[in-house]
Amino acid sequence: MALRSQLLKGVLDACVMAVVEEQPVYGYELSQKLQKIGLPNISDGTIYPVLLRLQKNGFIKGEMKPSATGPNRKYYFLTDEGKEELEQISAEWLQIADPVSKLLKRSEKDEKSNGAN
Amino acid sequence: MRKATELIEENNQKRELLNAENEKIYTDVLLYIRTDLRVDEQAAEELLMDLLDHLIEAQENGKDAQDFFGDSLEAYADELIANMPTENKRNILVLFSTSILGLAGWFALSYGLINGMISIFKPVDNEFALGSVSLILLSLVLIGIVGIFVIFRVIRTSVFKPKVNEWKVYVLSGLFGMVGFAFVVGVGFFFDGKGPVIQIQWWVILLVGLVLLGVNKGVSRLSIN
Repeated sequence: MALRSQLLKGVLDACVMAVVEEQPVYGYELSQKLQKIGLPNISDGTIYPVLLRLQKNGFIKGEMKPSATGPNRKYYFLTDEGKEELEQISAEWLQIADPVSKLLKRSEKDEKSNGAN
Repeated sequence: MRKATELIEENNQKRELLNAENEKIYTDVLLYIRTDLRVDEQAAEELLMDLLDHLIEAQENGKDAQDFFGDSLEAYADELIANMPTENKRNILVLFSTSILGLAGWFALSYGLINGMISIFKPVDNEFALGSVSLILLSLVLIGIVGIFVIFRVIRTSVFKPKVNEWKVYVLSGLFGMVGFAFVVGVGFFFDGKGPVIQIQWWVILLVGLVLLGVNKGVSRLSIN
């Protein structure tokens, strides 16, 4: 499934902010890290609409800096507003994550048993 | 911070690092974004540079542009554009006035120069009907503006199509050129000799052209990044 639905958009925003909070990264690093975490179906390009949206909202900021490998890269930092937003999303997410996964897993089971009938 | 013009120059050089297939796909995205006149130019060039840097690094690690951009290029590019800041009104105004000033400046400069050369051999017609001249200039500007929109439209609607009928694009552009030319000539024909007639020497027109180009250069510095 494409990562374009509203729900996944919000989740991806939070994931990007969480990675950026840990350490300022540039585009390539960011997509590598997200893929390593194990998020499915993240193509390298997926992060750019997210980065643009977060910048537009003032949650992250880009700055040119020399990278470890040499050339200048645009590194993204979390702003104070971004920190606040991330805290809020994290709290909301943690509240719903467990119950929702439980619920959805159960309905998956129902579907299977219905299919068997 | 690097300016948009520097980024464009750097982009042109760096694009050569992509292999043929990746370059084709990347260039399509680039054209689609650059021909969207609503998008802030500086932001667009910064994004295009980020994408290019990333794509080059991905290519070195064995990925191609298809993996990078996903299945639907157009949907992806639209999503980028939707999240980009829009060009501010002042820059649009500067772009608009520099196009007109530049056009009028070069026109006056070459007109003055050609008449100056002709005047060496035979007397030239120095009389201008002000009404007719301004109408013709106005229709030239109009055709120019419509032309830019038509060309950008054609590029945007064809860029992600797997197979573009090239002759269709040529015929369309040719047709537009003919209609535009006929329009200007028609205006000159039907509104001949309107308004007060004054005499202007060729060197005055040449000077006016130089002044317009000078003003154009000044105005073009007014855009803010």
